[in-house]
Amino acid sequence: MLDKTANPGQLLRSGAEAVAGGSGGCRAASGSPHAGVSPDALITAFIGAAGAGDTRSEFVIRAVDVRKVYRMGDVETHALRGISLDIRRGEYLSIMGPSGSGKTTFFNMIGGLDKPTSGKVYIDQVDIAQLDPYELAWLRCRKVGYVFQTFNLIQVMSCIENVMLPMAFAGRSGEEARERAMQILELVGLADRALHKPAEMSGGQQQRVAVARALANNPDILLADEPTANLDLRTGEEIIALFSRLRDEMGVTIISATHDLKMLKASDRIAWIDDGRLSRVSAAAELEIAVEEVH
Amino acid sequence: MRIEKDKQEPGQNRIAAQAVGQAAAQNAVARGKPRTIGVQPLPPFRRAFHIAVQGIRIRLGRSLVTLSGVALGTAFLMSTVTAQFVDRAVGRERELRRQVDSMVNVLRGQIGTVENKVLTVFVCGALSPEETAFLERIRSLRPAALRVMGAGITGFDSVSAPELARDAAAVLLLGDASSCPVPLATLTGDMLTPLVIDSRPDREVQYGPTVRREVFFGPQSEDRRLRETQRAVQERYRLVWIIAISLAVTVIGVANALLMSVTERFREIGTMKCLGALSVFIRRLFLIESALIGLAGSVVGVLTGTLLTLMAYASAYGVGLVFGAVERGGLLLASMLGILIGTVLAIVAALYPARVAARMVPAAALRSTV
Repeated sequence: MLDKTANPGQLLRSGAEAVAGGSGGCRAASGSPHAGVSPDALITAFIGAAGAGDTRSEFVIRAVDVRKVYRMGDVETHALRGISLDIRRGEYLSIMGPSGSGKTTFFNMIGGLDKPTSGKVYIDQVDIAQLDPYELAWLRCRKVGYVFQTFNLIQVMSCIENVMLPMAFAGRSGEEARERAMQILELVGLADRALHKPAEMSGGQQQRVAVARALANNPDILLADEPTANLDLRTGEEIIALFSRLRDEMGVTIISATHDLKMLKASDRIAWIDDGRLSRVSAAAELEIAVEEVH
Repeated sequence: MRIEKDKQEPGQNRIAAQAVGQAAAQNAVARGKPRTIGVQPLPPFRRAFHIAVQGIRIRLGRSLVTLSGVALGTAFLMSTVTAQFVDRAVGRERELRRQVDSMVNVLRGQIGTVENKVLTVFVCGALSPEETAFLERIRSLRPAALRVMGAGITGFDSVSAPELARDAAAVLLLGDASSCPVPLATLTGDMLTPLVIDSRPDREVQYGPTVRREVFFGPQSEDRRLRETQRAVQERYRLVWIIAISLAVTVIGVANALLMSVTERFREIGTMKCLGALSVFIRRLFLIESALIGLAGSVVGVLTGTLLTLMAYASAYGVGLVFGAVERGGLLLASMLGILIGTVLAIVAALYPARVAARMVPAAALRSTV
């Protein structure tokens, strides 16, 4: 039922190959003002130099020496002091860190919500600092799905309308969009609540609708900011289980900023950020995670 | 379940977006980017309209407050305009009555009561509305005889020409002609007292040597009329100034309310941008919201302002007079203009808040406070 192999991203890419005329980098379009740029320069714009022509790269997001400085008057605050991290396609990554550590700032960088002061962030081999607002909006609409701590559903719209909203921004509407929205709601187990408004649902259910909305345009990446923070133990576990399912069945890369220890057990890798630096990255299997239980 | 291919929304947007997309793609290729990032099209107008309507529904209370602000401003505007219309219509009537009263007073001052006296009127030229009303009033005062001579005048006692001024207490000259071809010299011989009252002080008439000549409207009344028109002009300037200030206050109030609303909705705006909304789209959203509230508010304001003013005047002057004499077509046009002004002002008030909203970063969706 759920096909994980093909993906609109891949279709686009093969289209791009046809346009670029084969593998091994892009030719400058003839007649363009940049026709004089050397092929080397073009290729080095791609990280990994794997060329645009091959299949999807191993790393869906690459952060290279990302720094962020906030200037307020004379005061400079270094939120990020050079973080480099490669995130593999299809992995479940948790980012942990105390408040003020720069965790949220880094999270914004790799989610395409902000641009670094220096350093580079590549989403699907594209340097996001070079994208104009239209392209960034496209990225947020199609490539990345966002899940928030406060759910952020539109209160006046029903669940299915909430799920259909990103589709509307993507240019899809009507019966076809509605069908797809229903299917996604089934996937998260809320098909019977499609016409209810968020106010009529519990927190866990709202978060599941938010996850469904994040999946509306079949994104490669799911970015979750403390998704279980406002949920109780059981519903939090449900959401984490849902994330694991999405990774297994649909190949979605899950990146979650979290304090929740439950999430660590489900993750593939955990990255710790402290004082603007990446202090540690480990695979979850290497760690001993003990969660106290109450009987 | 996958969607095999992107189905774009039909219409011009797709064509425009494709054109932008092609340009961007060429640019992207030139800049060395693989063509895997597309360009977000701007959704059609009705999409923004739909979301704007829902935005109003979410905060109906806040929207009503903004709406009443617009309503108050337009109500004040329309009440002043309506008052002008009523004044013009009713005022004409009142002014007419005043003129007639003053003419009758002059007449009475010269000959005493009109009852049972003989009056002769010569009409030279066209009669003004005041003069016509004056004749009617004289007739109602039951003179012994009212002989009126003039082109096209009927309905008054007729008598052969030489007898016109016989036993007349006074000869009245009305009409706008600058000269009166009446042989007054011969006629005034038959009068009880040789008195002529003229409605135009500068009229060329042949008088006899013993005739006393008076006027209905002396130089003082001319002065008074001049002063009154000057005062009216000053009043109008003051009115325009007051209306302008009140509308400015309305715009500022609405802008403030909208700015507060935008700042409070940081999470919603940030979330929409995360879902792929363009800044232009967000701006459009808030402008449409404000236009709708402005439209509703001005309709309410125009209706209440106009109707309440009309009713207030009707209770003073009488329903028939007010609703009958008021220039209906002009008032309707003024109402439409009032609605337009209210809506435009609401949009103007929303320009800055909409800009603030459009420039919000998507990361605002993650924030916990404003």
